[in-house]
Amino acid sequence: MFEWLTNPLYWTWIFQGLTLTVEITLFGVCLGLLLGTLLSIGDIYGGRTARGLIAIYVEFFRGSPLFIQIFIAVYTVPALLHLQMDHYLLAFLVFGLNSAGYQKGYVKGAMQTILDDQMAAGMSVGMSRWQTLRHVIIPQAYRIVIPSWTNEFCSLTKSTSALAFVGLFDLTSAGLSIKGITYQVLPVWMVIGAIYFVWITGVSKLMDVIYERKKIPGVELDLQS
Amino acid sequence: MTDCVMEAKHVYKTYCVKGEKRKDVKVIEAVKDVSLQIRKGDIKLIFGPSGSGKSTFLRCMAMLDIPDKGDIYLGDQSLTAKGVDLNKARARIGFVFQHIYLFRHLTALGNVELALRQVLKLPKEEARKRAIAALEEVKLTDCIKKYPSQMSGGQAQRVGIARAIARKPDIILLDEPTSALDPELTGEVIDTLRDLAHEGTTMLIVSHEMPFAKEVAEEMIFYDEGHVVETGPPSLFFNAPNTDRAKQFMTRIINRTTRE
Repeated sequence: MFEWLTNPLYWTWIFQGLTLTVEITLFGVCLGLLLGTLLSIGDIYGGRTARGLIAIYVEFFRGSPLFIQIFIAVYTVPALLHLQMDHYLLAFLVFGLNSAGYQKGYVKGAMQTILDDQMAAGMSVGMSRWQTLRHVIIPQAYRIVIPSWTNEFCSLTKSTSALAFVGLFDLTSAGLSIKGITYQVLPVWMVIGAIYFVWITGVSKLMDVIYERKKIPGVELDLQS
Repeated sequence: MTDCVMEAKHVYKTYCVKGEKRKDVKVIEAVKDVSLQIRKGDIKLIFGPSGSGKSTFLRCMAMLDIPDKGDIYLGDQSLTAKGVDLNKARARIGFVFQHIYLFRHLTALGNVELALRQVLKLPKEEARKRAIAALEEVKLTDCIKKYPSQMSGGQAQRVGIARAIARKPDIILLDEPTSALDPELTGEVIDTLRDLAHEGTTMLIVSHEMPFAKEVAEEMIFYDEGHVVETGPPSLFFNAPNTDRAKQFMTRIINRTTRE
């Protein structure tokens, strides 16, 4: 049942797949945070047009399955533009854009809980709106967002299995390949599942530690309410 | 042009409040044709019933709320003119909030230091020195490393005052600096304000601390329903205000104070 585990080739595949899964998730979460923050600021301070466009963006990425988004990015977009584009690069971007759709909600929510009073305080000492966002609002909002960020990381990691649809070699693709050769369906998926589990749990615990460390002394009760 | 540190000329401000139903929108005229002059070293105190628009007027003075009509001057410079760099102007105005509004993620020192670094662009050591000096002035050197949530309300508000004075602004506007505090903590904040008053700091204070007003204010301004009803020295209000409205209000306040 588990004899295939002794074959180093399969481990190379698993390692290769895991690498892509890890890279694309971390990239997606980071790009998503950056874009999500910009979208939040645009949504709070932008005009009606900006807010409308942001709403369409968010609904598109939240309202359609990720694998369709990846499919469109990898096959349809290059075809329409008549361009040869790197599938990996496109997939990385889709993960960032998709995550931004979710993270905009988290970041904006966190910003709004502190915005009124902290913005007034920042401006009262002569800082510009942008300086206040950068030095006061965002540092506080990011601390609040950490738990949602952990959730986003978990769900994005598991979503990477959609990459198998477009022939990119992630951890699930590695499992499919091994299964195709060994026919050990359940054992392979148990091992692959365990790897996902260990990685996700490990990072989640790490995020909990970071959350505790970064917590503003004494305000944790306010933040979680 | 003028020797005024700050001046308000015929300022108006209204804002809308949503009612219980979606269509219920109440328009509140918080500031109706208010004019005011403050000279260097002046201490003026605005008082009046809650909800009468005192805070809105004070926020307009600092351009934290933009007036609908009228002009605000800081020295000779109009803040309500087009194209004014309001951030630069606000850097010369200190503001102390009723609900304190410290930066929650920064220590007492960080709260005072931030504007010195970001607005005045002072080098790190210089900013630190001035921040510590400001905290010394409010007698808070023992908790410079504490976060806002680790301080008492009185300590936090004194950090708020330190944050406002550290830039050495031309004027300090204080919006009910003691009314969100427990009665036993108001004393330390009043002491701090008294020290500032004796140093000749120019201040416009919204407050109901009558003994304090009597002691330091040159002029008291009775404000009700969006406009100035009566102005005069404290002696006028404590003896015989001219308007009935002010008389009523003073009686009520003095009774309350003596009961306590």
